[in-house]
Amino acid sequence: MANSPFEIELDDLTLARARRGDLDACERIFRKFNQPAYSVAYRVCQCRELAQEITQEAFITVFRKLGQFRGDAPFWGWLRRVVVNHAISSLRRAPKADPIELQDFHGKAESASDQVGLAMDLESALAVLGAQDRTIVWLHDVEGYNHREIADLFGKTESFSKTRLSRARSQLRDLLKSRESRGLSRNAAAS
Amino acid sequence: MRYSKVHIMQKERDPLNLGSLPLVAPPSDSWPMIRSALVKHQRRRRVIRYSGSLLAAAAMLTLTVGLFIHQPTLAPAPVAAPQTLDSLIVLSQQLETRVRSYRSEVGGMPTNSLVYQVELEDLIAQVDDELSMRPDSLELWSQRVNLLLDLSQLYQNQLRRDYQRMASL
Repeated sequence: MANSPFEIELDDLTLARARRGDLDACERIFRKFNQPAYSVAYRVCQCRELAQEITQEAFITVFRKLGQFRGDAPFWGWLRRVVVNHAISSLRRAPKADPIELQDFHGKAESASDQVGLAMDLESALAVLGAQDRTIVWLHDVEGYNHREIADLFGKTESFSKTRLSRARSQLRDLLKSRESRGLSRNAAAS
Repeated sequence: MRYSKVHIMQKERDPLNLGSLPLVAPPSDSWPMIRSALVKHQRRRRVIRYSGSLLAAAAMLTLTVGLFIHQPTLAPAPVAAPQTLDSLIVLSQQLETRVRSYRSEVGGMPTNSLVYQVELEDLIAQVDDELSMRPDSLELWSQRVNLLLDLSQLYQNQLRRDYQRMASL
């Protein structure tokens, strides 16, 4: 099974030095994990500035609380949990934005927004999903969270996680299909 | 064979192959900002620790008298010299009880007090962590008592403010 991008080995010496407050060791850890941390924050909030803010806050929290990290689980798992928690609380703080509905998206694409249609790949399909659905599908499919863990993060039941995952996947499939069919019709018209 | 099994499991886990999307690069380097926050935090911790250590004896004496006079039920008349391990542990327990009772009484705190409270609780957690490895360290117990003393003072101030606000209504 593909691993989470967070699954990076960290040597004990660096960790011990960072625990003692050695800033060089902290920087080494930051450089190792910055990109996976930023990526997951970005996938959740879809905003570059906010993702950077979330990542900064998460790293500061982790370094300040490093003394409390007992080392009985891998460091990356702990860091990932902190980043995801920060990202989800930022979603809670953010003003509620309604997810773009599928028909809205089709409408836009058909009404002269050709660029959207052309750039419609997995990345942009993901961006069309509502924030919660996107977070759930990402945490489950890419980061390997199970439904219990996702339910705990959102303070909901496992059924909530399962339903939202299935809805998110089917939305993504529909979006990808619509892009594919549009691509085919464009090709046919061109030939 | 093993490969195909792994492949099938992966397909089930990530049917849309979202994992194939590349990592996103951050727009700028956050390290300088994180570094400066950590430096500030370390400086603040040092100040709290050192000022706590310097005032330890005076604080301990004041505390012993204070607990004895103010809340006789909480302070079972500490008679031993406060710098012994046992007396520090007793003081720590008494302060913890006191903090717990303040915490249940106090209303909402202003942000700066809240930040300070979290800082103090963080530091207490760190001392506890170290105490789990060196449970007989006089220095660690003394740090714990000083931090609890600060925390208790913070709650007392807040309760005083709450009381004044209520009285002015």
